[in-house]
Amino acid sequence: MIAVGLVAALVTIFLAGFGIAIWIFARADRINLIECACLAWLFGCGTISLLLWFCGMFCSGLFLQAIVTVACLLFAVLGWRAKRNANARFDLPKPANITEWILASLIAIEIAVLIFTSFKHTLGWDGLLNWELKARYAFLNDGTIPAAYYSSDGRAFSHPEYPLGIPFTELWLYLWMGEPNQFWVKIIFPLFYAACAPLLALLVSRLSGKRWIGLLSAALLPFVPSISASPGGVVVGYVDVPLGVFYLAALGYLLLWFKASDSRFLVVFAACSALLPWIKSEGIILWLVIVLLGFVLGLAKRRLGQFVLSLAPGAILILAWRIYLRLVHLSPHSDFVRPSFGALRDNIGRLGDIFGILFAELSEAVHWSIFWLLAAVALIYLFASRKLERIALASAVIIPILLYSVIYVFSTWSSYSAHMTSSIPRLLLHVMPVGWLAIGLALSQAKRETQTL
Amino acid sequence: MRWRFYLHFGLWFTLFAVLIWISAPIVGSAIVENRIGAAETNRSIDSYLRGLTGIENGSEKLPDAFRHLGKEGRLIVFVLNENAQSEFLGMMIGYISWPREVQIIKVSGPTVDKELADIKPSTVAGVVFCSVSPPAWLGHRVRLGSSIVLVPVTEAAP
Repeated sequence: MIAVGLVAALVTIFLAGFGIAIWIFARADRINLIECACLAWLFGCGTISLLLWFCGMFCSGLFLQAIVTVACLLFAVLGWRAKRNANARFDLPKPANITEWILASLIAIEIAVLIFTSFKHTLGWDGLLNWELKARYAFLNDGTIPAAYYSSDGRAFSHPEYPLGIPFTELWLYLWMGEPNQFWVKIIFPLFYAACAPLLALLVSRLSGKRWIGLLSAALLPFVPSISASPGGVVVGYVDVPLGVFYLAALGYLLLWFKASDSRFLVVFAACSALLPWIKSEGIILWLVIVLLGFVLGLAKRRLGQFVLSLAPGAILILAWRIYLRLVHLSPHSDFVRPSFGALRDNIGRLGDIFGILFAELSEAVHWSIFWLLAAVALIYLFASRKLERIALASAVIIPILLYSVIYVFSTWSSYSAHMTSSIPRLLLHVMPVGWLAIGLALSQAKRETQTL
Repeated sequence: MRWRFYLHFGLWFTLFAVLIWISAPIVGSAIVENRIGAAETNRSIDSYLRGLTGIENGSEKLPDAFRHLGKEGRLIVFVLNENAQSEFLGMMIGYISWPREVQIIKVSGPTVDKELADIKPSTVAGVVFCSVSPPAWLGHRVRLGSSIVLVPVTEAAP
């Protein structure tokens, strides 16, 4: 029964997301099946968790599960009807030559290995106490987080103020399995990787015009040890890799919109960027970075109005979560003081240490091998290209890293260096997939070729 | 120019080769280590408790021990400040004792007499010591594995 429930949960997530993805791309002549499948997982997790959160305010138990299931099926039907009405057809892009076949096969093998490896490890510290805990408590309370949890000072260690994107995706699996199974729930995380690798290949291919470079970038992705072998990676059930995947998708489709002027790409950007703050609190920083970059690209394209409209879902979600926290009498807990010039003046002396720790982490071979050296070389290429979209991509790598580092100036920990050392490796994971996008584009040089995917 | 083309790809493929050369042993050992094991419901909780305290099926045994304290009253959990193992154990107690209210107290010194004296017994069901030695005068200790000691509240008051 557990296996049946697990399959049902995954299928409903996938159907909801697939319906939304098809609906977005319905008016294209061809709907790329791989693209839809990757986006289906991202949209599906976002939709399910948001539905559970919102509907859970009004109902619970089997009724809640039934409503969310019906909504998922409805999304699938609506997407399918939109595709049929638009006479669009599915297209499965196949590798064109032996190199592409080898790289595509390698990506498929890597995904399979990571799924297998994930089941060999337990949930990590944060995966268990910050994320899975919420899913379990909600499961034991008929699908909603109990009010007592928010008022429990003794469980402040689990950060009740953290957003529910991943915990409620886990909850969905628990509801269908009928038990909070910590073994099977881990399937979620390698599936994020399974969405990330082909999406990276697709985005690099489209932006560079060279499919083999996209496939090569995706094939090299798991060779960054942090994704598979270090705390925060896919195997320990943290939310940092999922957040990185959403950031990659949001930025990639923003750049595609800039390049191709196709409003469908902006819709995907709107959806993926909106979900950034729903996955992890730091997602707000990534959202702000992407808003800034999008603003510049929108200005250059003279389509600022269209871009500003696409920010509405993210802004609404951020606001809704703030209101919800206020309603449950929770103020966002923070390990940082409110940024002010006074605090900055008092702690400005930390900057030397902070950048020292950052450099030490970026060059930590056990976590990153020489990935950040590759990223640095890629950034030089991108800036040297003097093309706005490439400079925007380079900025999307640099700005979050700088913001994530500088924020420790305001750390309230007695040892800010310990604070930074313990968390910066995971924060860098958010930017890593976008770093590969930068590497892919740098490798392709600046030649313009036709879109192949 | 052709030489720039060769230089460009030469640079990148050298960097990729070094990346794989350094990563392969790290990633490889992460893939090879551990076995899949049984698909147990509380796999992560049990695994941590087994590793830290030696208790088998800790996700069942510990809540069972807390149930014997009665329905009312919170748990006071003493952990060693800046001791990752002790603090983690305290949080695990907090996790699995749901829905009972818990209060985690971090202590720096070897004794907790002062902190125990501040406890109002009427609101507390039991005191848990995670890698912290209970005072000698505390009787009726229930040892749970190698690092956890539970003392029902009537025994905890000095």
